[in-house]
Amino acid sequence: MSKKKLLGSQVKQLLSGVSDHGNAHLLEVETDLAQTTILLGEAIEKLGVSFMALHAAISSEQEEINLIVSSGGVSDESVLRLKVIQEDISRHISSAVTSLQFQDLTSQLISRTLQRCEGLREVLGTLGVLGNDIEHDGESDELTALLRETTVRLEKQSADLKNLLRKAVHQKHLDSGDIELF
Amino acid sequence: MAKTILAVDDSGSLRQMVAFSLKAAGYQVIEAVDGQDGLEKARNQVVDLVLTDQNMPRMDGLTLIKSLRGLPSYARVPILMLTTESSDDMKAKGRAAGANGWLVKPFDPQKLTEVVKKVIG
Repeated sequence: MSKKKLLGSQVKQLLSGVSDHGNAHLLEVETDLAQTTILLGEAIEKLGVSFMALHAAISSEQEEINLIVSSGGVSDESVLRLKVIQEDISRHISSAVTSLQFQDLTSQLISRTLQRCEGLREVLGTLGVLGNDIEHDGESDELTALLRETTVRLEKQSADLKNLLRKAVHQKHLDSGDIELF
Repeated sequence: MAKTILAVDDSGSLRQMVAFSLKAAGYQVIEAVDGQDGLEKARNQVVDLVLTDQNMPRMDGLTLIKSLRGLPSYARVPILMLTTESSDDMKAKGRAAGANGWLVKPFDPQKLTEVVKKVIG
């Protein structure tokens, strides 16, 4: 096989290899993200139900405590201790409400990642299609033109993808966000 | 009579936390799953305050605000954005659309109710 033929064949093999292997790995990424979404969805549903049930139980307990306290059978020291415990519970409930918003943030990030996978699949598809266009014994000028065309198309696809996928979630912690009244 | 708040968000868990926090503070809460649903519910019943997310399917928060401001009954109803978005650019767009405030997720329930109380009492 001549040097020219070898180069054409190798470039063709490289492009289709990148496309095929890339697609296979992307499929794994998408499958894992779909599984993560299911697990996070189930987790937030169960956490939400448990949180509401816990809150209802604590509220009922508090009503009973209030009745006992109002009957006068509790020392002042105990009343103070109960007040401190109640404040602790309120603080923990507030913290839980803030933390339970994790799924809203993570689902947006996962959705963006899945869209990026989809875009990347199109990019890999371009590589595969152009790889198929390469003749095993094509002229080096043809090969150069095809590779240049591929580069231009990839740059455009990448730029389009970047513009499409504006990042809406920048939070790195679950601390409560800023508030601004206009 | 308790004041009514329309909470618009496509995340069920977020709506659950918003409703929990506001109901605990004595408000009535109507939930909507996206901007389109929010607009329909707002047309059916004029509420005292609208709290809306930005990124939602079918209709986003900014479009909802513009649509609501086009309705005479919502010309003066306070509308707050509750969103993950925190850029000055997005806040400026919200303000231009007719939002009265911007809250970045995640929210703290006490801070949320304080703001709501400040806006509608």
